[in-house]
Amino acid sequence: MGPLSREAWAQRLGALRASPSAFMAGPEGESLGRDLLSDLRSDKLTEQTKVSLLALSLEFPAQLWPDASAAEAAATSLLDTLVLLSPRPSALRRPLLLAATTALVAGGALGPTSGASGRLLPLLLGLAAGRDLGPGFGPVSEQRPLQATACECLRELESCQPGLLGGCLGLLRGLLGREGPVQPLSLLVALVLRNILVAQARAGASLRGLLTAGDPPTGDGPCPWDWTLAEEGDIHLQPQAPSWLAAEEGEHGLAALEPSPEEARELRATVAQLLDASYLLTPVAQAQLLWLLGWGLRGLRGQPPTLFKPQLVRLLSTAQLTLLHAVVALKAAFGEALFTAQDEALLLHRLTMAAQHPALPPPTHLFYLHCLLSFPENWPLGPVGEETTPLLLGPRLCQGLLPSLLHDPMALLARLHLLCLLCAEDQEEEEEKGQAESLQHYLEELLAGLQRRAALAGGPRASATLCFQASYLVAHCLAGQPAVLTPLIQGLARLYQARPALAPHFVDLLDRVGPELGEPLRVVLWQEVVSETGRDVALRWHLQMLAKVADGGAQSVTLRFLQAAASYCTDWGLQQALLGVCRTLLRARGGGGLADLLQALAGQLEDPDGRDHARLYYLLLANLSGPKLAMALGPSLAAPALASSLVAENQGFAAALTVQEAPASLRLSVGPRRVEGPSPVLELQVEALQPLYSLELRFRVEGQLYEPLGAVHVPCLCPGRPARPLLLPLQPRRPAPTRLGVRALYTTPTGLTCHAQLPPLPVNFADLFLPFPQPPEGAGPGFFEELWATCLPEGAESRVWCPLGPQGLETLVSHHLKPFVVAAQPPASYCVAIRLPPASRLLLRLGVAQADGVSVALRTDDWAVLPLAGDYLRGLSAAA
Amino acid sequence: MAQRAVWLISHEPGTPVCGTVKFSRRYPTVEKRARVFNGTSYMPIPEDGPFLRALLFELRLSDDDKDFVERRDSCSHINKTSVYGLPVGGGELWPVVAFLKNGMIYASVPLVEQTLSPRPPLISISGISQGFELLFGVQDFLYLGQKNDAELNTKLSQLPDLLLQTCPFGTLLDTNLQNSLDNTNFASVTQPQKQPAWKAGTYKGKPQISISITEKVKSMQYDKRDVADMWQVIGAVTCKCDLEGIMPSVTISLSLPTNGSPLQDILVHPCVTSLDSAILTSSSIDAMADSAFSGPYKFPFTPPLESFNLCYYTSQVPVPPILGFYQMQEEEVQLKITVNLKLHESVKNNFEFCEAHIPFYNRGPVTHVEYKVSFGQLEVFREKSLLVWTIGQKFPKSMEITLSGTVTFEAKNHEKQTFDQICIGGTAYVKLHFKILDYTLTGCYADQHSVQVFASGKPKISTHRKLISSDYYIWNSKAPAPVAYRSLLL
Repeated sequence: MGPLSREAWAQRLGALRASPSAFMAGPEGESLGRDLLSDLRSDKLTEQTKVSLLALSLEFPAQLWPDASAAEAAATSLLDTLVLLSPRPSALRRPLLLAATTALVAGGALGPTSGASGRLLPLLLGLAAGRDLGPGFGPVSEQRPLQATACECLRELESCQPGLLGGCLGLLRGLLGREGPVQPLSLLVALVLRNILVAQARAGASLRGLLTAGDPPTGDGPCPWDWTLAEEGDIHLQPQAPSWLAAEEGEHGLAALEPSPEEARELRATVAQLLDASYLLTPVAQAQLLWLLGWGLRGLRGQPPTLFKPQLVRLLSTAQLTLLHAVVALKAAFGEALFTAQDEALLLHRLTMAAQHPALPPPTHLFYLHCLLSFPENWPLGPVGEETTPLLLGPRLCQGLLPSLLHDPMALLARLHLLCLLCAEDQEEEEEKGQAESLQHYLEELLAGLQRRAALAGGPRASATLCFQASYLVAHCLAGQPAVLTPLIQGLARLYQARPALAPHFVDLLDRVGPELGEPLRVVLWQEVVSETGRDVALRWHLQMLAKVADGGAQSVTLRFLQAAASYCTDWGLQQALLGVCRTLLRARGGGGLADLLQALAGQLEDPDGRDHARLYYLLLANLSGPKLAMALGPSLAAPALASSLVAENQGFAAALTVQEAPASLRLSVGPRRVEGPSPVLELQVEALQPLYSLELRFRVEGQLYEPLGAVHVPCLCPGRPARPLLLPLQPRRPAPTRLGVRALYTTPTGLTCHAQLPPLPVNFADLFLPFPQPPEGAGPGFFEELWATCLPEGAESRVWCPLGPQGLETLVSHHLKPFVVAAQPPASYCVAIRLPPASRLLLRLGVAQADGVSVALRTDDWAVLPLAGDYLRGLSAAA
Repeated sequence: MAQRAVWLISHEPGTPVCGTVKFSRRYPTVEKRARVFNGTSYMPIPEDGPFLRALLFELRLSDDDKDFVERRDSCSHINKTSVYGLPVGGGELWPVVAFLKNGMIYASVPLVEQTLSPRPPLISISGISQGFELLFGVQDFLYLGQKNDAELNTKLSQLPDLLLQTCPFGTLLDTNLQNSLDNTNFASVTQPQKQPAWKAGTYKGKPQISISITEKVKSMQYDKRDVADMWQVIGAVTCKCDLEGIMPSVTISLSLPTNGSPLQDILVHPCVTSLDSAILTSSSIDAMADSAFSGPYKFPFTPPLESFNLCYYTSQVPVPPILGFYQMQEEEVQLKITVNLKLHESVKNNFEFCEAHIPFYNRGPVTHVEYKVSFGQLEVFREKSLLVWTIGQKFPKSMEITLSGTVTFEAKNHEKQTFDQICIGGTAYVKLHFKILDYTLTGCYADQHSVQVFASGKPKISTHRKLISSDYYIWNSKAPAPVAYRSLLL
């Protein structure tokens, strides 16, 4: 197929971008990677189209070349394309370098054995070093951008493969001092240096003169790439800026590194060189440099962070988010070593100012506010990891950061959180007390304003949500302050009065707040609902609310409301809401009044579903004791939280009425053998791991060798209490061992019915043995001989060597065969007759014991029994 | 520090999905690191479609907010920064940096170089601020000087190439996208001297420097005994320095007259090389702080090629330029209103324009207005329920003007009328819009003679000043009004 046209490619790229998975699954998906590589060399496509193809490969290499070998081949092809470009200026060189790098990294092909890696790395380093690579790499004017791009590619490779360029550090540092693009080189050197420092600190090694300039690597020289870390897989991947909390834990590792004085001097010179030139970098790149160097040098002995000090005033004076953030990161990295108490105060002042500066955009304000509340203090007092106000940030400084109704929701919540934190602080001095009171008063006014806004009919849901979020935040931060909670509760009650349609928000709030707010709010809302007539349009909401807030107390009032409401519940939804309240009352052990109501509903409701439910609840109420009723109605603990509380309740109820699959809560084993009765009986030992009720064990015989088995029932089992053994009569169709599949069905104390599969139970050959009726005294030998004789000719005869352990023949017989011995002359001979249901027999004649065993003659009337009997006899001594 | 992906989404309310992905870019090499760093908490970047839906839902920008949805409306689902967690593909994608501006949603997912559970604090993730800067950079590129949709579309089509330049591997190199656009047009620079990365090339031509100071004044006036009025000046100094040479050095000094108000909260452009500590510490947040420093404010810098904001400041002038009161009372079916405005004698009485807007929210369209103005004209926008009092270029000699009248309304129509969350009941405001050229409220000016330039040739220096109003509110004193904490202190 020839190259695609520009339009065809544009269409393809659009389709791929819209949904990569759908496109790759389609007919064109498979050949896309191949087509792309070949069309890059086509003369028919413009450079612009080719650049867009390369841009695509930068974004979707995993889709184009899904495995390492494809990625390797792609990178090779891209490098070939690059080399084949004519010496004219071309827009393709940069993207080709980027694409080859991306393909290798993303495809997992980067490595010492990869040919493409072996070509790309020296090429990049050569370009970065500004070496003349021949006319193929374009005119002189293109060298500088290419040099920068090569540095970026190397930085990305080093990011993904830390330590890779460790051997080139000296060379790169040397370039830094000379002509060349300062930003890409600075960032590359900083990254390589930091990766070395981290790796060295881990290995406890020294810098080994890596900082001193080395010769640029050539094709013949030793390979400068360090793949050692690469071979360990991805575990060495180092955060370029680790989380501060995680860093605290690993601090000891880094502190171990103590460079020699010479190395320390060299290191200091390098860092100073990078920092001095940092002004030439773009602000975002300056920030990256500071994060890298700050966290690279942190904990390094003999490297005072004062190197950073000359930069700080310049950085603190800017409005750049990344720069201030980097300063905060330096603060976190070095603490008091870099920031005195005064510096800390200045930094806090600047952050506070930036968090409200009218010239900065709102997302920046919010981020600075977050920085303030998570500020890495020199001497933090509060718990680590929780948002608090820094000690140096008193209420006075925060005045401009307090919320007002004019703020958008996110700013309002962020500032409200700050206000709550300030209100929660202990106030000791008189002046502070006055301040706390005015803050509290302000908070109260603000909440009232939010409630007024949420109460507006027709207002957007966002304003209601905001009001409840604020209430939650206040309840969360100021749970112990009744002075704040009381007016909040009154305000919320008024809000409900004004706009009952917010019931779902109230239910959600009650679900999430602690008892300090939750309990009094519940009571107030209950009063609010039952004081309504039940006749108005908000009945649906009242019922939803009541299902949440009704409880055992003053049930008669609730019931009166429900009775009044029942006649207005004309549709299914309302009836279900009504029944939802009944369910709540059932759970709270409703009394006679509830029974009357349910009975009335069972007759009165229009919808048959509603009537059925009412009847069911009535039956449950009449027949189940309190705790069991609660369990039957309680939401299942295992059920995931669902969107609406109504659904959740339904779910709990359904769970109580359906069978749950569960891991077995009991153990079953076969006990000692019983040889009584007309058929073999297994004695089962049951051990419960939790209290179980109404246990039913169901058995299935593998291979249908026996008649189907009946279920066994146990009313109650408790762990630790010995259980009566269970007897399981077997009715074999053939005298053969088998396994029984076991399933258990039981009810747990939480009221759930569970179904569990237990491990199968083995039924051994010997479990089927039954004795012949005992012949009269003295008739034993004759009876045996008669049986012995009648086995042939239809049956079979054999002789088996039965090994004896140290215990001897007598013990063996008494342990295993005693019930079946019909005649014996110990120790000379034993005659054993065994009945094997349904209609077989096995006769054994044991002779005089030899040193290590006894010869057993056996006869049976059933051919099939012979091998089983042989195995049984041979295994006896081991079983003893 | 890197970003895993970037999106630009236009918000289109009323359409089925309520938005379209205008641009997206993924960074697979960063994604590879994310997979390792995030471990079991790793969540892959979703395709554009699912991402769009999840983001619009989370930002409350999809039209469907009729019903309570726990995942969005629960009281404990609180976001205090513009960083979100989006439910996608059975897990949560976090952190997603996102904000809406001018109908466009800007979003990116920064790389977090550790496990995501438990979530590390945002402050410890370097990619967060980098993500914001990238998005701000894109926003500036799209909207600075942009006039119409066609221009916006042209700029959108340039984005892929520009990000290939400024963010080739997800790690941002420069927020100034315009710079890289110019970069490709500039002849290569081969001078041995170091070239700042934020300067695409060198200027060739007549040396000139333009400095303009724009002050915005905002105010909240209540006319109440227990609530203090608030006002604040926010200044921005914009420069364009056309100077030859790679690193020309310039120092601009801002001066105040003897009775001028000190500049505070000064934020400077990163190209400023050093700053007096008195400038750094002069701040409005610490009311007790001694802000005796009143200039001159010296800013030494090496200018970039483009026009840039040398610094921002705030200032607390002793009195608001226009002091007023607004009384609005409901009388049976109509509203009775009185507005009084007084220009302070120290303010230059020569406006480019001056208007008072009197909106009536959460009410129906205006049906009838009876009024009397002591000065200027009143215009009635019935459908918008808005009165505009045009004062013109000058206040009268008395410096004081009054409007009084009654307004009646049609019944409210929920569908048509926009809902306002602030102006509920009697809560209402008058908003002033005015502009005075060649004037600053603080008195701040840049003296042409104090500008020091170390570059070849003597540049021509031009300076400009203006004052404009911004959020200048006068609240109805007969009803509650939203107040900030500071207003309550007195």
